[in-house]
Amino acid sequence: MIENRAEPVRLDSGFWGATAVLTLLAVASIVFWYVFPIDRYLPEAIVTARQVDTLFRFMAATGSALYIFVAGYLVFFSIAYRAKASDPPGAVGVQIHDNRKLEFWWTLIPSLFVVLLSIVSVRIWYEIMLEPENGLVVEAIGHQFDFTFRYPQINGEVTDEMHLPLGVPVTLNLTSAEVIHGFWVPAMRLKNDTVPGLVTSIRFTPRLVGRYPIICTQFCGVLHSQMDKQVLVIENKSSFDRWFKGWQQKNAHASNALPAAGGGAISLQGGDVASGKQLFSQKCTACHKLAPFDQKLVGPGLLGVLHDPSHPNLVNGQAATPPDVATILQNGYTGSMGAMPNASANGLSAKDIADLVAFLNTLK
Amino acid sequence: MAVAAIPAGGIAGHIHPEPQGFVRRYVFSLDHKIIGIQYIITAFVFMVLAGLLAEVIRTQLLNANGGFVAPDTYNEVYSVHGSAMVWLVIIPLLTGGFGNLVFPLQIGARDVAFPWLNMLSFWIFPVAGLMLFSSFLMGAPTAGWMEYPPVSLQGAAGTSMWAAAIFLVGVSSTMTGINFVVTILKMRAPGMTFTRMPLFVWGQFATAPLLMIATTALAAALAALFIERQFGVPFFDPTKGGSPVMWQHMFWFYSHPAVYIMILPAFGIISEVLPTFSRKPIFGYKLIAFSSMAIALAGFMVWAHHMFTSGLAPFLQVPFMIITFVIGVPTGIKIFSWTATLWRGKIHYTTAMLFAIGFVGLFTLGGITGIFLAAIPFDLHVHGTYFIVGHIHYVLVGGSLMGVFAGMYYWFPKMSGRLLNETLGKLHFWLFFIGFNGTFIPMHWLGMLGMPREVATYDPQFTFWNRFESFSSYLMTFAILIFFVNVLWSIRNGKRSGPNPWGARTLEWQIPSPPNYYNFKHIPTIYGLPYDFSQPLPYKGLEDELTDSPPPAAAGAH
Repeated sequence: MIENRAEPVRLDSGFWGATAVLTLLAVASIVFWYVFPIDRYLPEAIVTARQVDTLFRFMAATGSALYIFVAGYLVFFSIAYRAKASDPPGAVGVQIHDNRKLEFWWTLIPSLFVVLLSIVSVRIWYEIMLEPENGLVVEAIGHQFDFTFRYPQINGEVTDEMHLPLGVPVTLNLTSAEVIHGFWVPAMRLKNDTVPGLVTSIRFTPRLVGRYPIICTQFCGVLHSQMDKQVLVIENKSSFDRWFKGWQQKNAHASNALPAAGGGAISLQGGDVASGKQLFSQKCTACHKLAPFDQKLVGPGLLGVLHDPSHPNLVNGQAATPPDVATILQNGYTGSMGAMPNASANGLSAKDIADLVAFLNTLK
Repeated sequence: MAVAAIPAGGIAGHIHPEPQGFVRRYVFSLDHKIIGIQYIITAFVFMVLAGLLAEVIRTQLLNANGGFVAPDTYNEVYSVHGSAMVWLVIIPLLTGGFGNLVFPLQIGARDVAFPWLNMLSFWIFPVAGLMLFSSFLMGAPTAGWMEYPPVSLQGAAGTSMWAAAIFLVGVSSTMTGINFVVTILKMRAPGMTFTRMPLFVWGQFATAPLLMIATTALAAALAALFIERQFGVPFFDPTKGGSPVMWQHMFWFYSHPAVYIMILPAFGIISEVLPTFSRKPIFGYKLIAFSSMAIALAGFMVWAHHMFTSGLAPFLQVPFMIITFVIGVPTGIKIFSWTATLWRGKIHYTTAMLFAIGFVGLFTLGGITGIFLAAIPFDLHVHGTYFIVGHIHYVLVGGSLMGVFAGMYYWFPKMSGRLLNETLGKLHFWLFFIGFNGTFIPMHWLGMLGMPREVATYDPQFTFWNRFESFSSYLMTFAILIFFVNVLWSIRNGKRSGPNPWGARTLEWQIPSPPNYYNFKHIPTIYGLPYDFSQPLPYKGLEDELTDSPPPAAAGAH
């Protein structure tokens, strides 16, 4: 073998020439990502969409600059240091094992970059999280295979389109009737899963009038790919109000109760308060206290659930009625207060439910 | 009772007689080399099946409204494609396959620590694979390779078969992991200290604990899913008190480390091929070795970055994001070190080298988009879209599978004694490289613009790029066809390689190709790193290996 342990390793003019070319390319790619009009291809429909695009520009610019150097040196070294026919047999490369200084720098610089990227990401993440909480509350419920929407002051459920007024902060609560869906509006650069048994929420402020597709991003069954037909409409306050009034009238007589699982209304006739009280102590006290609403164990306190006006309303803004409570006992509950198993999981018969409702109705 | 004398050279010094008869030699073999080849052949058979499923996917997506297969069939096809490629192709090829075949030779051992366990590990694998594909007969799973409940609870009967099959593959993986850890810890030849181990061995040493530890979490999740589906015990159904998010935690507690199971051994392959064909020591040996261990350890602490949209508490998500960024540092160190290895080398353009250089180029792109995805705000946009599909294929095809091909062209002579045809090999590389990029690059912008994953139909505005991807994928499939033709032709007609066709310096190249049953006539002693191309080989005791002298007499039967 030929000894080729070169004296002090020197970087030749070829290396510096290649480095100059790659630096130019890297700068060009950074400029490209900062001038590229992303919103021409995908509108920025909410305030924080622009922040997400800013983060993307930052990562795409630094990422492609890094990539240009790695790939560029790979290609340059591969060409410049290829073995040639004129090499003596058994020729070897320069026998360098490592270089502490170089390794120190290429560990330190990416580490500093990680710190920088963490700061940038957390800041934008906080801007998304710190959108106002006291805005319009809308609920989206995932079904196989569409979403329905609930608004305060509209009875029942709104189908087809979700309308939001321009510039008004929105809290969107998400849950699902059966399986997990993903609620994604690409123009919002925002999504969250709708998980049965959980309520998740996202907050945002619409900033651009338009019609934006709502797309499901978690596989949810055979027609998952068809679950991209609904639209989020962001519009001026006046057209939003017209749309809102229309649904108020259309749904004036719609029931706010969730449909009972397995169909059929639950009969509340003949509920027995005494056996309801006994059932309550057996089945309910693990999670609920007989105390005001805010004294929470797992679920809220149930004193006055059917009579106390300070007891929070259902999500549609209505006070709870005995059929509502019966429906929750039957179907379980999934909402902003947590999740409650349904009747079969709790071992409740229809008679048990009637008894429990009768008992709860006595709590004032 | 007399204590049996321990033969010279310790336990490893004794040689069992080679079994006679086809079944004991090639079917129920205890020889790590044969088992490795069995793994490789079986995994490539499954790769053909899963690859055909991939072409069904791409053919369906030629048109926005699908139409090639029914939506339900399509959902089955991509679910089995993903499951099979992960569990029946990439993991077995890189651990059971190349791991078994190569690393015992590289540490100077005569076999793995537990040959019977090794045989059992292998034989579970084809059984599990057949079970997975047989799920098509009873309605295959449709909820992707992740099978999130509750929708997987609604899936056809084959979903339970899927869970059982993946559980079995997991058992096989766990046993392989135990075997490899013990072998590397206890069976290195004298002088083979940790800082002299070839980097492929380091890759396996970092991977094996992941196989051992992470796979158990997956096994628990799969058992729970199977029990819930078959017996109605509610682990995941929220209407009965279960938690669907618990599945996601358990699944990703395995499946994130599994990403490293699928890439660390490929890192090892690249770290062997690059120095050999650059005629240069690998740059920064210690940092490459330690960064593998760092990646393996940190790999356990990032699983929730797959769940940023699942409704976790916001403050819990931030550490998962930052630790994921941190993994970029050791990964970057490797990429820089591989690039620096080429600097002022004497580069020989073999097909293995082309695949290794291609690996660095493509894997780096997948790594960079991985950092994008770890940033929560951006992930909230692209999670569950084709951006993810593009990213994972850059890592698993541009990374792991390119590594497998590099390994095949590099070690095929050690398996068969013959070289793969280099002309076909280069054609394979270039067609694959072009087809691969054409298939997966457009997915990134399709995902960002609004195309969700796992869809049988899509918005017609994406038709052009989907067709572009499909035609590119046909090119990729054609390239892989060339590879199989090459293997089948070369196994009989390839040029004879001799023991060391590449001028490589690790131990496996200092013995005949294919090696004798007992690997080494005498266990060698190791004096240094294998990557000093200007120095004499750092091994003693190999003088007889390439001569006709018989091995020392087999130790007494026992």
